[in-house]
Amino acid sequence: MTAFMKKEWMELCRSGRLLVLFLLFSLLGIMNPALAKLTPWLVETLSESLADAGIAAAAVTVDAMSSWAQFYKNFPLGMVFFILLTSGSFTTEYQKGTLIPVVTRGLTRRNIVLAKSLVIVALWTVMYWLCFGITCGYNAYIWDNKAANHLYFAAALAWLFGIWITSFVLLFSAVAQSGAQVLAGTGAIALGVYLLSLFPKFGRFLPIRFLDGMSLLQGVTSVCDYAVSATAAVFVSFLCIILAVVCFDRKQL
Amino acid sequence: MNMLELSHVAKRFGEKQVLRDVTFSVPEHSVFGFVGKNGAGKTTAMKLILGLLSSDSGEISVNGSTVCYGTTKTNRFVGYLPDVPEFYPFMTPREYLRFCGEISGMKAGEIESRSEELLALVGLEKDNRRLKGFSRGMKQRLGIAQALLGRPKLLICDEPTSALDPAGRKELLDILADAREQTTVLFSTHILSDVEHICDQIAFLHEGKIVLQGTLKEVRAKRKDAAVELELERPEDAPLLIRVFHDLKSKGRGRFLLEDAGRLPELFRFLADSRISVLRIERREASIEDLFMEVVGK
Repeated sequence: MTAFMKKEWMELCRSGRLLVLFLLFSLLGIMNPALAKLTPWLVETLSESLADAGIAAAAVTVDAMSSWAQFYKNFPLGMVFFILLTSGSFTTEYQKGTLIPVVTRGLTRRNIVLAKSLVIVALWTVMYWLCFGITCGYNAYIWDNKAANHLYFAAALAWLFGIWITSFVLLFSAVAQSGAQVLAGTGAIALGVYLLSLFPKFGRFLPIRFLDGMSLLQGVTSVCDYAVSATAAVFVSFLCIILAVVCFDRKQL
Repeated sequence: MNMLELSHVAKRFGEKQVLRDVTFSVPEHSVFGFVGKNGAGKTTAMKLILGLLSSDSGEISVNGSTVCYGTTKTNRFVGYLPDVPEFYPFMTPREYLRFCGEISGMKAGEIESRSEELLALVGLEKDNRRLKGFSRGMKQRLGIAQALLGRPKLLICDEPTSALDPAGRKELLDILADAREQTTVLFSTHILSDVEHICDQIAFLHEGKIVLQGTLKEVRAKRKDAAVELELERPEDAPLLIRVFHDLKSKGRGRFLLEDAGRLPELFRFLADSRISVLRIERREASIEDLFMEVVGK
Protein backbone atom coordinates (compact mmCIF):
# COMPACT_ATOMS: atom_id res chain seq x y z
CA MET A 1 0.00 0.00 0.00
CA THR A 2 2.87 2.38 0.79
CA ALA A 3 4.33 1.57 -2.61
CA PHE A 4 1.06 2.50 -4.25
CA MET A 5 0.83 5.74 -2.29
CA LYS A 6 4.39 6.57 -3.33
CA LYS A 7 3.32 6.03 -6.92
CA GLU A 8 0.32 8.34 -6.45
CA TRP A 9 2.58 11.00 -4.99
CA MET A 10 5.05 10.63 -7.86
CA GLU A 11 2.17 10.97 -10.29
CA LEU A 12 0.93 14.15 -8.62
CA CYS A 13 4.39 15.71 -8.72
CA ARG A 14 5.43 14.65 -12.20
CA SER A 15 2.13 15.30 -13.94
CA GLY A 16 2.28 18.85 -12.61
CA ARG A 17 -1.09 18.51 -10.88
CA LEU A 18 0.40 19.24 -7.49
CA LEU A 19 1.97 22.44 -8.77
CA VAL A 20 -1.25 23.58 -10.44
CA LEU A 21 -3.26 22.98 -7.26
CA PHE A 22 -0.61 24.65 -5.12
CA LEU A 23 -0.58 27.75 -7.30
CA LEU A 24 -4.36 27.87 -7.56
CA PHE A 25 -5.02 27.56 -3.84
CA SER A 26 -2.25 30.02 -2.97
CA LEU A 27 -3.65 32.48 -5.46
CA LEU A 28 -7.15 32.09 -4.04
CA GLY A 29 -5.73 32.60 -0.56
CA ILE A 30 -4.02 35.83 -1.55
CA MET A 31 -6.91 37.05 -3.65
CA ASN A 32 -9.40 37.18 -0.76
CA PRO A 33 -7.69 39.87 1.34
CA ALA A 34 -6.38 41.57 -1.80
CA LEU A 35 -9.85 41.97 -3.25
CA ALA A 36 -11.17 43.22 0.07
CA LYS A 37 -8.29 45.68 0.36
CA LEU A 38 -8.78 46.92 -3.18
CA THR A 39 -12.54 47.40 -2.94
CA PRO A 40 -12.47 50.99 -1.53
CA TRP A 41 -9.97 52.00 -4.18
CA LEU A 42 -12.06 50.36 -6.91
CA VAL A 43 -15.20 52.10 -5.70
CA GLU A 44 -13.35 55.41 -5.62
CA THR A 45 -12.05 55.10 -9.15
CA LEU A 46 -15.40 54.02 -10.39
CA SER A 47 -17.41 56.49 -8.38
CA GLU A 48 -17.24 59.22 -11.04
CA SER A 49 -18.62 57.01 -13.74
CA LEU A 50 -21.08 55.59 -11.28
CA ALA A 51 -22.18 59.09 -10.35
CA ASP A 52 -22.71 59.81 -14.03
CA ALA A 53 -24.92 56.77 -14.19
CA GLY A 54 -26.90 58.15 -11.27
CA ILE A 55 -25.59 55.82 -8.62
CA ALA A 56 -24.20 57.44 -5.56
CA ALA A 57 -21.21 55.57 -4.18
CA ALA A 58 -20.67 56.03 -0.50
CA ALA A 59 -17.31 55.51 1.11
CA VAL A 60 -16.77 51.80 1.76
CA THR A 61 -15.09 50.53 4.86
CA VAL A 62 -13.54 47.09 4.71
CA ASP A 63 -12.30 44.83 7.44
CA ALA A 64 -11.38 41.17 7.97
CA MET A 65 -15.02 40.23 7.52
CA SER A 66 -15.03 41.44 3.89
CA SER A 67 -12.01 39.28 3.27
CA TRP A 68 -13.68 36.27 4.89
CA ALA A 69 -16.78 36.90 2.79
CA GLN A 70 -14.51 36.69 -0.26
CA PHE A 71 -13.02 33.49 1.12
CA TYR A 72 -16.37 31.74 1.40
CA LYS A 73 -17.33 33.01 -2.03
CA ASN A 74 -14.12 31.89 -3.72
CA PHE A 75 -13.13 28.63 -2.12
CA PRO A 76 -15.88 26.62 -3.93
CA LEU A 77 -14.09 27.58 -7.13
CA GLY A 78 -10.93 25.94 -5.80
CA MET A 79 -12.99 22.92 -4.83
CA VAL A 80 -14.42 22.58 -8.33
CA PHE A 81 -10.90 22.64 -9.77
CA PHE A 82 -9.79 20.11 -7.20
CA ILE A 83 -12.61 17.76 -8.22
CA LEU A 84 -11.86 18.24 -11.91
CA LEU A 85 -8.23 17.31 -11.35
CA THR A 86 -8.93 14.29 -9.18
CA SER A 87 -11.94 12.87 -11.03
CA GLY A 88 -9.67 10.95 -13.40
CA SER A 89 -7.58 9.35 -10.71
CA PHE A 90 -9.25 5.94 -11.09
CA THR A 91 -10.83 6.18 -14.50
CA THR A 92 -7.66 6.94 -16.47
CA GLU A 93 -6.19 3.82 -14.89
CA TYR A 94 -9.21 1.78 -16.01
CA GLN A 95 -8.99 3.13 -19.52
CA LYS A 96 -5.28 2.47 -19.86
CA GLY A 97 -5.34 -0.84 -18.01
CA THR A 98 -2.50 0.22 -15.70
CA LEU A 99 -4.16 -1.32 -12.67
CA ILE A 100 -4.11 -4.82 -14.16
CA PRO A 101 -0.39 -5.48 -13.53
CA VAL A 102 -0.88 -4.07 -10.03
CA VAL A 103 -3.79 -6.37 -9.21
CA THR A 104 -2.13 -9.39 -10.76
CA ARG A 105 0.90 -8.76 -8.58
CA GLY A 106 -1.26 -9.33 -5.56
CA LEU A 107 -2.00 -5.84 -4.22
CA THR A 108 -5.53 -6.17 -2.84
CA ARG A 109 -8.18 -4.03 -4.43
CA ARG A 110 -9.13 -2.68 -1.02
CA ASN A 111 -5.64 -1.28 -0.58
CA ILE A 112 -5.79 0.40 -3.96
CA VAL A 113 -8.98 2.26 -3.03
CA LEU A 114 -7.71 3.12 0.43
CA ALA A 115 -4.35 4.35 -0.87
CA LYS A 116 -5.98 6.57 -3.47
CA SER A 117 -8.56 7.85 -0.97
CA LEU A 118 -5.91 8.70 1.59
CA VAL A 119 -3.83 10.60 -0.95
CA ILE A 120 -6.82 12.56 -2.28
CA VAL A 121 -8.15 13.41 1.18
CA ALA A 122 -4.67 14.46 2.32
CA LEU A 123 -4.26 16.56 -0.80
CA TRP A 124 -7.55 18.35 -0.20
CA THR A 125 -6.68 18.93 3.44
CA VAL A 126 -3.29 20.43 2.64
CA MET A 127 -4.58 22.59 -0.20
CA TYR A 128 -7.60 23.84 1.69
CA TRP A 129 -5.72 24.80 4.84
CA LEU A 130 -3.02 26.39 2.71
CA CYS A 131 -5.63 28.66 1.16
CA PHE A 132 -7.21 29.32 4.55
CA GLY A 133 -3.85 29.93 6.19
CA ILE A 134 -2.83 32.53 3.64
CA THR A 135 -6.11 34.41 3.94
CA CYS A 136 -6.04 34.16 7.72
CA GLY A 137 -2.47 35.42 7.91
CA TYR A 138 -3.10 38.44 5.72
CA ASN A 139 -6.32 39.26 7.53
CA ALA A 140 -4.57 39.21 10.88
CA TYR A 141 -1.76 41.37 9.50
CA ILE A 142 -3.92 43.96 7.71
CA TRP A 143 -6.94 44.06 9.97
CA ASP A 144 -7.88 41.86 12.85
CA ASN A 145 -9.62 38.51 12.95
CA LYS A 146 -11.26 39.21 16.30
CA ALA A 147 -14.52 40.30 14.70
CA ALA A 148 -15.04 36.79 13.35
CA ASN A 149 -16.81 34.31 15.62
CA HIS A 150 -15.87 30.64 15.46
CA LEU A 151 -13.30 31.31 12.77
CA TYR A 152 -11.69 27.86 12.84
CA PHE A 153 -14.89 25.95 13.35
CA ALA A 154 -16.45 27.60 10.30
CA ALA A 155 -13.31 26.81 8.30
CA ALA A 156 -13.39 23.18 9.45
CA LEU A 157 -17.00 22.88 8.27
CA ALA A 158 -16.09 24.12 4.80
CA TRP A 159 -13.20 21.64 4.80
CA LEU A 160 -15.66 18.90 5.78
CA PHE A 161 -17.83 19.87 2.83
CA GLY A 162 -14.82 19.25 0.59
CA ILE A 163 -14.28 15.83 2.20
CA TRP A 164 -17.95 15.03 1.77
CA ILE A 165 -17.96 15.83 -1.95
CA THR A 166 -14.59 14.08 -2.42
CA SER A 167 -16.03 10.90 -0.94
CA PHE A 168 -18.65 10.97 -3.68
CA VAL A 169 -15.93 11.43 -6.28
CA LEU A 170 -14.28 8.29 -4.87
CA LEU A 171 -17.52 6.33 -4.87
CA PHE A 172 -18.36 7.26 -8.45
CA SER A 173 -14.76 6.53 -9.47
CA ALA A 174 -15.15 2.96 -8.23
CA VAL A 175 -18.32 2.51 -10.27
CA ALA A 176 -17.97 4.62 -13.42
CA GLN A 177 -15.88 3.98 -16.50
CA SER A 178 -14.87 7.51 -17.42
CA GLY A 179 -13.96 10.76 -15.74
CA ALA A 180 -16.98 12.42 -17.30
CA GLN A 181 -19.29 9.95 -15.59
CA VAL A 182 -17.60 10.66 -12.27
CA LEU A 183 -18.11 14.39 -12.75
CA ALA A 184 -21.71 13.92 -13.86
CA GLY A 185 -22.48 11.76 -10.84
CA THR A 186 -20.81 14.10 -8.38
CA GLY A 187 -22.44 17.10 -10.03
CA ALA A 188 -25.85 15.45 -9.82
CA ILE A 189 -25.37 14.76 -6.10
CA ALA A 190 -24.28 18.34 -5.46
CA LEU A 191 -27.20 19.72 -7.44
CA GLY A 192 -29.67 17.35 -5.77
CA VAL A 193 -28.48 18.32 -2.32
CA TYR A 194 -28.60 21.99 -3.26
CA LEU A 195 -32.21 21.69 -4.45
CA LEU A 196 -33.15 19.76 -1.32
CA SER A 197 -31.58 22.44 0.82
CA LEU A 198 -34.06 24.95 -0.55
CA PHE A 199 -36.64 23.26 1.65
CA PRO A 200 -35.97 24.49 5.18
CA LYS A 201 -37.12 21.13 6.54
CA PHE A 202 -34.14 19.31 5.01
CA GLY A 203 -31.72 22.23 4.96
CA ARG A 204 -30.79 21.64 8.58
CA PHE A 205 -29.29 18.25 7.83
CA LEU A 206 -27.46 18.99 4.61
CA PRO A 207 -23.81 19.92 4.23
CA ILE A 208 -24.60 22.71 1.75
CA ARG A 209 -24.92 25.09 4.69
CA PHE A 210 -21.23 24.54 5.51
CA LEU A 211 -20.48 26.72 2.51
CA ASP A 212 -22.14 29.65 4.20
CA GLY A 213 -19.42 30.21 6.79
CA MET A 214 -20.34 33.88 7.11
CA SER A 215 -23.43 33.20 9.21
CA LEU A 216 -21.21 31.55 11.82
CA LEU A 217 -18.62 34.30 11.61
CA GLN A 218 -21.27 36.98 12.04
CA GLY A 219 -22.84 35.10 14.89
CA VAL A 220 -26.14 34.41 13.12
CA THR A 221 -25.78 30.71 13.82
CA SER A 222 -24.00 28.91 16.59
CA VAL A 223 -21.83 25.81 16.74
CA CYS A 224 -24.65 23.62 18.08
CA ASP A 225 -26.75 24.32 14.98
CA TYR A 226 -24.33 22.25 12.95
CA ALA A 227 -24.14 19.18 15.16
CA VAL A 228 -26.59 17.09 13.15
CA SER A 229 -25.42 18.06 9.67
CA ALA A 230 -21.73 17.68 10.55
CA THR A 231 -22.30 14.22 12.00
CA ALA A 232 -24.34 13.29 8.95
CA ALA A 233 -21.60 14.51 6.60
CA VAL A 234 -18.91 12.52 8.43
CA PHE A 235 -21.13 9.43 8.38
CA VAL A 236 -21.95 9.82 4.66
CA SER A 237 -18.28 10.31 3.79
CA PHE A 238 -17.28 7.10 5.55
CA LEU A 239 -20.21 5.28 4.00
CA CYS A 240 -19.18 6.43 0.52
CA ILE A 241 -15.64 5.18 0.98
CA ILE A 242 -16.83 1.83 2.32
CA LEU A 243 -19.22 1.53 -0.64
CA ALA A 244 -16.37 2.46 -2.99
CA VAL A 245 -14.30 -0.42 -1.57
CA VAL A 246 -17.20 -2.84 -2.00
CA CYS A 247 -17.93 -1.73 -5.57
CA PHE A 248 -14.28 -1.72 -6.57
CA ASP A 249 -13.93 -5.32 -5.36
CA ARG A 250 -16.49 -6.34 -7.97
CA LYS A 251 -15.34 -4.09 -10.72
CA GLN A 252 -14.04 -5.60 -13.91
CA LEU A 253 -10.70 -3.99 -14.65
CA MET B 1 2.83 -32.07 -11.41
CA ASN B 2 0.56 -29.69 -13.25
CA MET B 3 1.22 -26.01 -12.69
CA LEU B 4 -2.10 -24.96 -14.19
CA GLU B 5 -5.34 -26.83 -14.59
CA LEU B 6 -8.57 -25.76 -16.19
CA SER B 7 -11.55 -28.06 -16.03
CA HIS B 8 -14.81 -27.47 -17.89
CA VAL B 9 -14.45 -23.71 -17.84
CA ALA B 10 -17.18 -21.69 -19.54
CA LYS B 11 -17.67 -17.97 -19.93
CA ARG B 12 -20.22 -15.87 -21.73
CA PHE B 13 -20.45 -12.15 -22.33
CA GLY B 14 -24.13 -11.35 -22.79
CA GLU B 15 -25.28 -13.30 -25.82
CA LYS B 16 -21.84 -14.43 -26.83
CA GLN B 17 -20.50 -17.71 -25.48
CA VAL B 18 -16.78 -16.95 -25.44
CA LEU B 19 -15.51 -20.15 -23.85
CA ARG B 20 -17.27 -23.49 -23.61
CA ASP B 21 -16.07 -26.50 -21.68
CA VAL B 22 -12.39 -25.63 -21.85
CA THR B 23 -10.26 -28.28 -20.19
CA PHE B 24 -6.49 -28.49 -20.30
CA SER B 25 -3.49 -28.66 -18.03
CA VAL B 26 0.03 -27.33 -18.20
CA PRO B 27 2.78 -29.49 -16.66
CA GLU B 28 5.55 -27.87 -14.66
CA HIS B 29 8.58 -26.57 -16.58
CA SER B 30 6.97 -26.73 -19.97
CA VAL B 31 6.21 -24.13 -22.59
CA PHE B 32 2.56 -24.30 -23.48
CA GLY B 33 1.35 -22.63 -26.67
CA PHE B 34 -2.21 -21.43 -26.74
CA VAL B 35 -3.16 -21.01 -30.37
CA GLY B 36 -6.24 -19.47 -31.89
CA LYS B 37 -7.52 -16.86 -34.27
CA ASN B 38 -8.23 -13.33 -33.11
CA GLY B 39 -11.34 -13.43 -30.99
CA ALA B 40 -11.11 -17.16 -30.27
CA GLY B 41 -11.16 -16.51 -26.52
CA LYS B 42 -7.45 -16.67 -25.67
CA THR B 43 -7.33 -13.40 -23.75
CA THR B 44 -10.56 -14.24 -21.93
CA ALA B 45 -9.11 -17.59 -20.83
CA MET B 46 -5.99 -15.86 -19.53
CA LYS B 47 -7.98 -13.25 -17.66
CA LEU B 48 -9.96 -16.03 -16.01
CA ILE B 49 -6.73 -17.67 -14.89
CA LEU B 50 -5.64 -14.34 -13.39
CA GLY B 51 -8.94 -13.80 -11.60
CA LEU B 52 -9.63 -10.65 -13.60
CA LEU B 53 -12.90 -12.15 -14.85
CA SER B 54 -15.26 -14.55 -13.16
CA SER B 55 -16.04 -17.82 -14.91
CA ASP B 56 -19.62 -19.00 -15.32
CA SER B 57 -18.76 -22.59 -14.55
CA GLY B 58 -15.77 -24.86 -14.19
CA GLU B 59 -12.69 -24.65 -12.03
CA ILE B 60 -9.21 -23.25 -12.49
CA SER B 61 -6.26 -24.00 -10.26
CA VAL B 62 -2.73 -22.64 -10.25
CA ASN B 63 -0.02 -24.58 -8.43
CA GLY B 64 -2.68 -26.58 -6.64
CA SER B 65 -4.74 -23.61 -5.36
CA THR B 66 -8.09 -22.64 -6.78
CA VAL B 67 -8.42 -19.29 -8.54
CA CYS B 68 -11.20 -16.99 -7.39
CA TYR B 69 -12.42 -13.75 -8.92
CA GLY B 70 -11.25 -10.40 -7.60
CA THR B 71 -8.27 -10.67 -5.32
CA THR B 72 -6.90 -14.13 -5.82
CA LYS B 73 -4.05 -15.54 -3.79
CA THR B 74 -2.89 -17.62 -6.74
CA ASN B 75 -1.55 -14.48 -8.41
CA ARG B 76 1.51 -14.61 -6.21
CA PHE B 77 2.70 -17.55 -8.31
CA VAL B 78 1.99 -15.80 -11.57
CA GLY B 79 3.81 -13.31 -13.77
CA TYR B 80 1.60 -11.74 -16.40
CA LEU B 81 2.33 -9.90 -19.61
CA PRO B 82 -0.88 -8.36 -21.02
CA ASP B 83 -1.46 -8.22 -24.77
CA VAL B 84 -1.06 -4.43 -24.82
CA PRO B 85 1.00 -3.66 -21.73
CA GLU B 86 0.40 -0.19 -20.31
CA PHE B 87 2.54 1.34 -17.61
CA TYR B 88 2.61 4.62 -15.73
CA PRO B 89 3.99 7.10 -18.26
CA PHE B 90 5.66 9.27 -15.62
CA MET B 91 8.01 6.53 -14.42
CA THR B 92 11.30 5.27 -15.81
CA PRO B 93 11.73 1.52 -16.40
CA ARG B 94 13.79 1.15 -13.21
CA GLU B 95 11.22 3.04 -11.15
CA TYR B 96 8.45 0.90 -12.56
CA LEU B 97 10.25 -2.32 -11.68
CA ARG B 98 10.92 -1.00 -8.19
CA PHE B 99 7.21 -0.17 -7.84
CA CYS B 100 6.29 -3.70 -8.96
CA GLY B 101 8.79 -5.26 -6.60
CA GLU B 102 7.58 -3.20 -3.64
CA ILE B 103 3.98 -4.17 -4.31
CA SER B 104 4.83 -7.83 -4.32
CA GLY B 105 6.83 -7.39 -1.12
CA MET B 106 10.32 -8.06 -2.44
CA LYS B 107 13.36 -6.82 -0.54
CA ALA B 108 15.04 -3.62 -1.78
CA GLY B 109 18.37 -5.29 -2.55
CA GLU B 110 16.71 -8.09 -4.46
CA ILE B 111 14.60 -5.66 -6.49
CA GLU B 112 17.74 -3.74 -7.41
CA SER B 113 19.77 -6.74 -8.57
CA ARG B 114 16.86 -8.47 -10.28
CA SER B 115 15.89 -5.25 -12.13
CA GLU B 116 19.39 -4.79 -13.52
CA GLU B 117 19.54 -8.41 -14.58
CA LEU B 118 16.15 -8.29 -16.32
CA LEU B 119 16.65 -4.89 -17.96
CA ALA B 120 19.86 -6.24 -19.44
CA LEU B 121 18.01 -9.35 -20.57
CA VAL B 122 15.37 -7.37 -22.45
CA GLY B 123 17.83 -4.77 -23.71
CA LEU B 124 16.53 -1.73 -21.82
CA GLU B 125 19.42 -1.31 -19.39
CA LYS B 126 20.54 1.99 -20.88
CA ASP B 127 17.10 3.55 -21.14
CA ASN B 128 16.47 6.03 -18.40
CA ARG B 129 13.73 7.96 -20.12
CA ARG B 130 10.22 8.03 -18.79
CA LEU B 131 7.87 5.44 -20.22
CA LYS B 132 5.81 8.14 -21.95
CA GLY B 133 8.02 7.99 -25.02
CA PHE B 134 8.21 4.20 -25.26
CA SER B 135 7.08 2.39 -28.39
CA ARG B 136 4.82 -0.63 -28.12
CA GLY B 137 7.73 -2.97 -28.69
CA MET B 138 9.71 -1.36 -25.88
CA LYS B 139 6.73 -1.61 -23.59
CA GLN B 140 6.49 -5.26 -24.48
CA ARG B 141 10.11 -5.72 -23.45
CA LEU B 142 9.52 -3.97 -20.15
CA GLY B 143 6.38 -6.05 -19.80
CA ILE B 144 8.34 -9.28 -19.94
CA ALA B 145 10.83 -7.87 -17.42
CA GLN B 146 8.08 -6.99 -14.94
CA ALA B 147 6.43 -10.36 -15.46
CA LEU B 148 9.66 -12.21 -14.62
CA LEU B 149 10.61 -9.90 -11.72
CA GLY B 150 9.21 -11.97 -8.88
CA ARG B 151 10.50 -15.29 -10.29
CA PRO B 152 6.96 -16.53 -10.93
CA LYS B 153 6.14 -20.21 -11.06
CA LEU B 154 3.82 -19.59 -13.94
CA LEU B 155 4.45 -17.01 -16.63
CA ILE B 156 1.42 -16.00 -18.66
CA CYS B 157 2.07 -14.02 -21.83
CA ASP B 158 -0.72 -12.78 -24.05
CA GLU B 159 0.61 -12.58 -27.60
CA PRO B 160 4.05 -11.53 -26.46
CA THR B 161 5.59 -11.34 -29.92
CA SER B 162 2.90 -9.37 -31.69
CA ALA B 163 4.46 -5.90 -31.43
CA LEU B 164 8.08 -6.84 -31.88
CA ASP B 165 10.45 -6.50 -34.81
CA PRO B 166 11.91 -9.77 -36.19
CA ALA B 167 15.07 -9.51 -34.09
CA GLY B 168 13.07 -8.65 -30.99
CA ARG B 169 10.77 -11.57 -31.63
CA LYS B 170 13.60 -14.02 -31.80
CA GLU B 171 15.08 -12.58 -28.61
CA LEU B 172 11.76 -12.85 -26.83
CA LEU B 173 11.25 -16.43 -27.91
CA ASP B 174 14.73 -17.22 -26.63
CA ILE B 175 13.89 -15.59 -23.31
CA LEU B 176 10.73 -17.68 -23.04
CA ALA B 177 12.56 -20.86 -23.98
CA ASP B 178 15.25 -20.13 -21.37
CA ALA B 179 12.64 -19.30 -18.76
CA ARG B 180 11.48 -22.91 -18.93
CA GLU B 181 14.32 -23.87 -16.57
CA GLN B 182 12.88 -21.78 -13.76
CA THR B 183 9.24 -21.45 -14.56
CA THR B 184 6.32 -22.73 -16.57
CA VAL B 185 5.23 -20.70 -19.54
CA LEU B 186 1.76 -20.33 -21.00
CA PHE B 187 1.66 -18.08 -24.00
CA SER B 188 -0.94 -17.31 -26.57
CA THR B 189 -0.24 -16.49 -30.15
CA HIS B 190 -1.59 -16.65 -33.62
CA ILE B 191 1.88 -16.82 -35.12
CA LEU B 192 2.35 -20.52 -35.69
CA SER B 193 6.07 -20.50 -36.36
CA ASP B 194 6.55 -19.23 -32.78
CA VAL B 195 4.79 -22.33 -31.56
CA GLU B 196 6.95 -24.63 -33.62
CA HIS B 197 10.08 -22.95 -32.28
CA ILE B 198 9.62 -23.22 -28.57
CA CYS B 199 6.52 -25.09 -27.43
CA ASP B 200 6.43 -28.47 -25.78
CA GLN B 201 2.67 -28.60 -25.77
CA ILE B 202 -0.03 -26.83 -27.67
CA ALA B 203 -3.75 -26.37 -27.59
CA PHE B 204 -5.86 -24.99 -30.41
CA LEU B 205 -8.74 -22.84 -29.32
CA HIS B 206 -11.49 -22.29 -31.83
CA GLU B 207 -14.79 -20.58 -31.18
CA GLY B 208 -14.33 -21.00 -27.47
CA LYS B 209 -13.53 -24.69 -27.55
CA ILE B 210 -10.30 -26.62 -27.37
CA VAL B 211 -10.32 -28.46 -30.68
CA LEU B 212 -6.92 -30.11 -30.46
CA GLN B 213 -4.23 -30.44 -27.84
CA GLY B 214 -1.17 -32.41 -26.92
CA THR B 215 2.60 -32.36 -27.32
CA LEU B 216 3.92 -30.99 -30.58
CA LYS B 217 4.73 -34.53 -31.68
CA GLU B 218 1.31 -35.89 -30.82
CA VAL B 219 -0.41 -33.08 -32.60
CA ARG B 220 1.70 -33.53 -35.70
CA ALA B 221 0.96 -37.26 -35.66
CA LYS B 222 -2.76 -36.53 -35.68
CA ARG B 223 -2.45 -35.02 -39.06
CA LYS B 224 -3.42 -37.22 -41.90
CA ASP B 225 -1.03 -37.69 -44.81
CA ALA B 226 0.24 -34.50 -46.24
CA ALA B 227 -2.09 -32.96 -48.75
CA VAL B 228 -1.39 -32.63 -52.46
CA GLU B 229 -1.75 -29.40 -54.32
CA LEU B 230 -2.67 -29.48 -57.99
CA GLU B 231 -2.70 -26.71 -60.54
CA LEU B 232 -4.31 -27.15 -63.96
CA GLU B 233 -2.98 -25.47 -67.05
CA ARG B 234 -6.48 -24.64 -68.26
CA PRO B 235 -8.86 -23.58 -65.51
CA GLU B 236 -11.80 -24.55 -67.76
CA ASP B 237 -10.98 -28.24 -67.12
CA ALA B 238 -11.88 -27.75 -63.50
CA PRO B 239 -15.60 -28.77 -63.66
CA LEU B 240 -14.65 -32.03 -65.30
CA LEU B 241 -12.32 -32.88 -62.46
CA ILE B 242 -14.72 -31.78 -59.72
CA ARG B 243 -17.43 -34.03 -61.13
CA VAL B 244 -15.38 -37.12 -60.34
CA PHE B 245 -13.41 -35.98 -57.31
CA HIS B 246 -16.03 -34.33 -55.10
CA ASP B 247 -13.70 -33.85 -52.15
CA LEU B 248 -11.25 -31.70 -54.07
CA LYS B 249 -11.03 -28.33 -52.44
CA SER B 250 -10.93 -25.49 -54.90
CA LYS B 251 -8.36 -22.81 -54.15
CA GLY B 252 -9.27 -20.66 -57.13
CA ARG B 253 -8.09 -20.34 -60.74
CA GLY B 254 -7.55 -23.99 -61.53
CA ARG B 255 -5.82 -24.78 -58.25
CA PHE B 256 -7.02 -27.59 -56.02
CA LEU B 257 -6.12 -29.26 -52.78
CA LEU B 258 -6.45 -33.03 -52.40
CA GLU B 259 -6.40 -33.81 -48.72
CA ASP B 260 -6.65 -37.57 -49.01
CA ALA B 261 -3.26 -38.37 -50.54
CA GLY B 262 -4.35 -42.02 -50.87
CA ARG B 263 -6.41 -41.11 -53.88
CA LEU B 264 -3.40 -39.78 -55.73
CA PRO B 265 -2.97 -42.79 -58.12
CA GLU B 266 -6.65 -42.57 -58.98
CA LEU B 267 -6.26 -38.87 -59.73
CA PHE B 268 -3.24 -39.49 -61.94
CA ARG B 269 -5.17 -42.11 -63.91
CA PHE B 270 -8.09 -39.76 -64.42
CA LEU B 271 -5.88 -36.87 -65.51
CA ALA B 272 -4.13 -39.14 -68.05
CA ASP B 273 -7.37 -40.64 -69.36
CA SER B 274 -9.10 -37.27 -69.74
CA ARG B 275 -5.99 -35.68 -71.18
CA ILE B 276 -6.12 -32.81 -68.75
CA SER B 277 -2.84 -30.96 -68.81
CA VAL B 278 -1.32 -30.12 -65.50
CA LEU B 279 0.92 -27.24 -64.60
CA ARG B 280 2.04 -28.46 -61.21
CA ILE B 281 1.47 -31.24 -58.70
CA GLU B 282 3.05 -30.70 -55.33
CA ARG B 283 3.03 -32.63 -52.12
CA ARG B 284 2.72 -30.20 -49.28
CA GLU B 285 4.77 -30.56 -46.15
CA ALA B 286 2.75 -31.09 -43.01
CA SER B 287 2.93 -27.96 -40.93
CA ILE B 288 1.17 -26.75 -37.85
CA GLU B 289 -0.38 -24.12 -40.05
CA ASP B 290 -2.16 -26.72 -42.20
CA LEU B 291 -3.33 -28.42 -39.12
CA PHE B 292 -4.61 -25.19 -37.72
CA MET B 293 -6.45 -24.39 -40.90
CA GLU B 294 -7.89 -27.88 -40.86
CA VAL B 295 -9.23 -27.65 -37.34
CA VAL B 296 -10.69 -24.21 -37.79
CA GLY B 297 -12.42 -25.55 -40.87
CA LYS B 298 -10.96 -23.50 -43.66
